[in-house]
Amino acid sequence: MIEFKLPDVGEGMHEGEIIQWLIKEGDAVTQDQPIVEVQTDKVNAELTAPITGVVKKILFSAGDTVEVGTTIFTIQEENEMSLPEAVSDEGDNSLEEPGDGIGTDRMSKRQLEAGRVLATPFVRQMAREMKVDIQQVSGTGPAGRIIESDLKQFVETNSVLQEHHNHGNDTLLRKRDPIKDANQAKNAVAEPEERILLKGIRKKIAEHMVKSVSTIPHVTHVDELEMNALKEFKDQLKAYSEDKEIKLTFLPFFVKAIVIALKEFRTLNASIDEKTKEIILKHYYHIGIATNTNEGLMVPVIKHADQKTIFELADEIRQLATDAREGKLSLEQITGSTFTISNVGPIGGIHATPIINYPEAAILALHKMEPRMVVRDLEGVIRLMMNMSLSFDHRLIDGVIAVQFTNRIKELLENPIRLVVEMR
Amino acid sequence: MVVGEVAVETDVLIIGGGPGGYAAAIRLGQLGKTVVLVEKDKLGGVCLNRGCIPSKALIHTADQFHKLTDLGKMGIKLPEESITMDLNAWQGWKGGVISQLTQGIAHLCKENGVTVVQGQATFLSDDRVSVETEGDFETYKFEHAIIATGSRPFIPSFIEVDGEYILDSTASLQLQEVPASLSIIGGGYIGIELGMAFAKLGTKVTIIEMADRILPQVAQHLVKEVIHNAQKLGMNIKTSARVEKASVVDGQVYLHIHSEKLGTEMIVSEKSLVTIGRIPNTEELGLNRAGVNVGGKGHITVDMECRTNVPHIFAIGDITPGPALAHRASKQGVVAAEVICGMPSANDSPYVPYVIFSEPQIAGVGITREEAERQGYSVKTGKFPFSANGRALATNEMKGFAEVIVDEDSHILLGMHMVGPDASNLIGEGVLALELAARVEDIALSIHPHPTLSEVWMEAAEATLGHAIHIINN
Repeated sequence: MIEFKLPDVGEGMHEGEIIQWLIKEGDAVTQDQPIVEVQTDKVNAELTAPITGVVKKILFSAGDTVEVGTTIFTIQEENEMSLPEAVSDEGDNSLEEPGDGIGTDRMSKRQLEAGRVLATPFVRQMAREMKVDIQQVSGTGPAGRIIESDLKQFVETNSVLQEHHNHGNDTLLRKRDPIKDANQAKNAVAEPEERILLKGIRKKIAEHMVKSVSTIPHVTHVDELEMNALKEFKDQLKAYSEDKEIKLTFLPFFVKAIVIALKEFRTLNASIDEKTKEIILKHYYHIGIATNTNEGLMVPVIKHADQKTIFELADEIRQLATDAREGKLSLEQITGSTFTISNVGPIGGIHATPIINYPEAAILALHKMEPRMVVRDLEGVIRLMMNMSLSFDHRLIDGVIAVQFTNRIKELLENPIRLVVEMR
Repeated sequence: MVVGEVAVETDVLIIGGGPGGYAAAIRLGQLGKTVVLVEKDKLGGVCLNRGCIPSKALIHTADQFHKLTDLGKMGIKLPEESITMDLNAWQGWKGGVISQLTQGIAHLCKENGVTVVQGQATFLSDDRVSVETEGDFETYKFEHAIIATGSRPFIPSFIEVDGEYILDSTASLQLQEVPASLSIIGGGYIGIELGMAFAKLGTKVTIIEMADRILPQVAQHLVKEVIHNAQKLGMNIKTSARVEKASVVDGQVYLHIHSEKLGTEMIVSEKSLVTIGRIPNTEELGLNRAGVNVGGKGHITVDMECRTNVPHIFAIGDITPGPALAHRASKQGVVAAEVICGMPSANDSPYVPYVIFSEPQIAGVGITREEAERQGYSVKTGKFPFSANGRALATNEMKGFAEVIVDEDSHILLGMHMVGPDASNLIGEGVLALELAARVEDIALSIHPHPTLSEVWMEAAEATLGHAIHIINN
């Protein structure tokens, strides 16, 4: 019997969420057959069977969060299968004898465990204090033991249980009526609300945002760009890019302009090591592209953006966005960015105060591009305008530098020829 | 109810001062409640006065006496004349032990503000109890009550316990002389404990058991060692046999027994002891006036908080369904006390250990291998004999073994059982291990002191994993 323990599929992950089981208990599986889909910090991974055999027991259900190293299923090797099972496989399946199959085996075990909860006396007492039916709690401790943090987690997700009994003198008068108790519990949460466990990607996003905002003093600087020249430049390339089967957007130009500016303003492609009190200036330019997915915000990364052509960037951005939406990104593809772009323009809005993708030094949000009345040579004219909001780490970057940085981007994008000559 | 009577008011009234009742009383005192503890006889109940404690005093004495015969091989030379047992003198020593314990409990009750009242309590309603003390009559009004009246030996109708020839366990512990012969009706743990003790003191003991073996509630392989020793002590064990008639003629007890195999036979002995079982003391309490339901066998059903069907009246100990064991009662007492004070306590554990002071002792907690298999577990077990334990050899106590039963998949311990020297003290480790949901590795990996008997648990745990040090692992 092999116990399959949740491996560390991403660098340094410590827990994963079971998304779905692709097999069920008792299924015969072959080596490397996908068994379970697990989601870690930001990656979905399919875990495969380590050997050919029969899946004996599934220890967690979909939605459970499991620590790395915990056994999530057991699998029995083909040649160590015990006789009774082999016989029952050959037997008349339409007349399954109770007591032989794995299902009934599990059922009788569950009946037994009604008397026993895998938890220490202290935890059982704590559950009663918290008014938690410990039988409902799934344990994350060794062998599924229920530990203190499981109770806390359970309570957080089950507001219904936060019924306020006066446990004092009225114990005397209180006749325990389960139906009444349940009604009282319902009344206690009369306001309609729904509670969803903060977990998986949403939990990671939340933690990440808190970490960033509580560590980095953010300042946001907003400026506008005139996009007519760039649009014209892009339009001229339309036929050429279609020939190359590339859908050209504005984003690759922004990436290029930003990389050029980053090379000149080095503290924007940097981070602070709080432990050693050092500034890390990065000589590589990995640009994160904040992307909306069904699961929430994801930031796929274009590695070495300075070494790629506009077309290469366009193609890579399209591929990453597709992968992100399909949840197929690998850990490698979502880590290591040095500067992040948040392209909120297609959705709308004038300006924003984006939160820096910790531990980076700055983030640039690009807003909606639209014709606006502007003044040129003391005359009102209509131009294609776009706003951009740069949030930067004020520990590292002074306001002057930030403005110079956006000015440089502005200069390059408003004059695409300059962009071309600066490109590598 | 008398018109104009003045009832003494109390937060909690407890009926019965045994190990359940007094534990509840002390806990309630600690939690600041006013408590009246009504005991009709002596504080400490059966356990202290007529059960656990005096019987262990007798068993220990008998054991010491019996071991004298083994001293020769250890080089101790005893005087030539025969050694005798003065049971009368023993009664004095036993009395001292009991009074020290009962005084201790009285002191603890006093220090915790518990009012101890001697007398017979009867419910008048669901909030009043009358207590009759030698003609005096007092009424108590309570907010909560705990019924802890315990149990007494069950005597079948055709047998009359006279206390001189036909004894119950209480009377057997008050004998002034070691009887020459003793027939014991019932081969459960009380019969076996007392029977082996008297056999060690030189009594010719016969045990009559209706089931096909003695200690029928205990796993067979654990009992085997006890049966072997009973035979060595010269005890006569008759199984699948029933007593049909008991009579006393000329200072001798005549028991007519019948078995399928041997037909009817007569057993003549100086004394006879009835240890068939115990029945709950739930009559004569006026429980119907309090509205408390009593089951068919006289038991009061309670929930995990020890509440009866009347929510402010609790019941604990032998009057509740389950094994009649003092430690169960004490736990229930503490739980009931805490629940009354609004605490979230519960009697939530299946791990009530059992201990039998036979020769050698048997103790266990959790389920046996057979029970585990019946419940659908794939089990692994490990056994380790005391004969491979250094301390057991050095103290000439090498009978028996320790056994651990674990779930094959998770290695979580399901049961720990033992027959052997000091099993009663050694089972504490098992209770803790099971309560903490330990795996067998947890015991195997813990350092056990050497040279001690406790090492057998470690070795049995290692044996489960296939690597006990002091035996050959298969």
